Amino acid sequence: MNLALAELSRLVARRFVLLMTVLLVAAFGVTVATTVASSHRPTAAEVAEAEREVLFAQARIEQIREDCERQRVSPEFCEVYTEREPRIEDYLYGVFVFSQEITDLVYFMIAFLALFAFLVAASFVGAELTSGGMTNLLLWRPQRVTVLGTKLATVLAAVVALSAVASVLYIGAFYAIAEVGGVPGVLDGEFWRDLVLTVGRDLGMVAFAAAIGFGAATLGRHTAAALGLVATYAIVWEIGARIVFEVIEAATPDRYMLSSYIGAWMAGEVSFWDQYGDRQYELTWMHAAAVFAVALAAIVGGAFATFRHRDLA
Amino acid sequence: MVWPMTAVIQIEGLRKTFRTLRGGARVALNGFDMTVEAGQIHGFLGPNGSGKTTTLRTLLGLVRADDGRMSILGRTAPEALPEVAPQVGAIVESPQFFGNFSGRRTLRLLARAGGVPAERVEAVLTQVGLRDRGDERVKGYSLGMKQRLAVASALLKQPELLILDEPANGLDPAGIREMRDLMRQLSSAGITVLVSSHILAEIQLICDHVTIVSRGQRVATGPVAAVLSGFDKGEYRVRVGDLDRAADVLGTAGLPVTKNEDHLVVADVGDPAWITEQLGRRGMWVSELTPLTPDLESVFLQLTATTPDPGAPKQVDEAIQPGTIDLGVQS
Repeated sequence: MNLALAELSRLVARRFVLLMTVLLVAAFGVTVATTVASSHRPTAAEVAEAEREVLFAQARIEQIREDCERQRVSPEFCEVYTEREPRIEDYLYGVFVFSQEITDLVYFMIAFLALFAFLVAASFVGAELTSGGMTNLLLWRPQRVTVLGTKLATVLAAVVALSAVASVLYIGAFYAIAEVGGVPGVLDGEFWRDLVLTVGRDLGMVAFAAAIGFGAATLGRHTAAALGLVATYAIVWEIGARIVFEVIEAATPDRYMLSSYIGAWMAGEVSFWDQYGDRQYELTWMHAAAVFAVALAAIVGGAFATFRHRDLA
Repeated sequence: MVWPMTAVIQIEGLRKTFRTLRGGARVALNGFDMTVEAGQIHGFLGPNGSGKTTTLRTLLGLVRADDGRMSILGRTAPEALPEVAPQVGAIVESPQFFGNFSGRRTLRLLARAGGVPAERVEAVLTQVGLRDRGDERVKGYSLGMKQRLAVASALLKQPELLILDEPANGLDPAGIREMRDLMRQLSSAGITVLVSSHILAEIQLICDHVTIVSRGQRVATGPVAAVLSGFDKGEYRVRVGDLDRAADVLGTAGLPVTKNEDHLVVADVGDPAWITEQLGRRGMWVSELTPLTPDLESVFLQLTATTPDPGAPKQVDEAIQPGTIDLGVQS
């Protein structure tokens, strides 16, 4: 516990962490300010116009559905038109609708938090390995796995806690904007359940990014090693291999890309068409969890295994 | 495993070869032995790249040995290091501290990580002379102040054994003297000190025992006085008016005489009074008769064959690799 508290003190005192936190707050501030500036509380006239448009849309959809069923197309196909009833907020222009926009905003927030977590975790161990701070610590606690494990646990707990607080404040800020200068939309139990699950999965994404950054920097003994790993992966695999898959006409190239699984994890499920456009397949958050587990075992497990036996400068 | 010995540090047959990914290999330690007994201030000397720091790092578990046995405070190292670490204070080379922390905060964090009472922080800051500068950021410290902070961190645990790698590095003359006094105080309090340094005059002043390493092997070990006396040739510097006549007289008596510009160096002198008697009897009055006692620097340079040749700089790996000269170390 003493070691964890000491590590936490070191983490929060790092200038890089402070800088990243300022950038995080600035990015959130810009997003909130932009939303406030581009939204207004709908006037009675706008609401009345929206209600008229809803009635018109309902009539149009009903007509299309009847035509569809008359042509005896499959019931599932016709169901597409009746899947979701038009709502007033669909026709309120220049109005921030919390229920419709918060999910995409949360994705943006998590992307930033994941980047934050990756860089902070990588620099937390990378700088210590480069500067000799780790050596100093090991002279006090000559238990390598304990020291490295405590460092990882501390940075994971810190970034996840910060992300949880940031998520609550961020979502709360947009809810307040909706209440004051927009509309909340339909906030039923299903909406909140989906939002909580999305935020929960996205906190997992933050922890994954932090662990990968930490592991890569430990393996490479430098913060830059983690950045190099990401850059190399992105260029060689996400871009290079994707081109090769297209050239050789591989059926399902998205299945082999980490970015597909990141998308599946954040959204819960994503669908892809194969190269020939005649077969659709889904990747779910469970597939993503399996891929993340393999990546963590390789990079974080490898980092601990090598750190146990490595000669330290 | 508990070793049945009183040695605070015992190293036997330590070997370490650093290998590179390209297949290169550099032998850092080649069967190195060292014994440090309780209460000693033990100097650890060697040319650059001779294996001093590798030895200390290996002993402290930072580098893995290829072969050999080590013990600290009677416990096998590195396996038992977690148990003995609270009794061992160490600095290895120039330790790096987190620049944005103050010296005081740095020590508090270390104390917290090591389970040391916070009161010790003020005590060690005072001990190393940083009490009034303890709230300044470490990145603003001079090299000497960082070195003092490093020593403070090593003292924080009130160790039984203190391992200091180049503790005088960057210290001003007053700081070097304070460091010397500090080590003496610690030794008189019963703390065993192992200190590696390139400042041989300091080692000679501070240490009671010494081990010299060259190219990964021990070349000499024992009490400082014994190591020096092993190289004492009984030489005297003699100044007289007529150097040629004096050289003849002393040479005829069978003593090796080297004539220099304004003095003679006479070796194998048993009783210096004999020289004054012989020369005085022949009307030559001695104006200087000084014993040429070897100092640690000259012994070190001889033992490691690193005496510089003007115009022909010695390369790092040109140090000698002879057999051990053991001068009375107990084992």
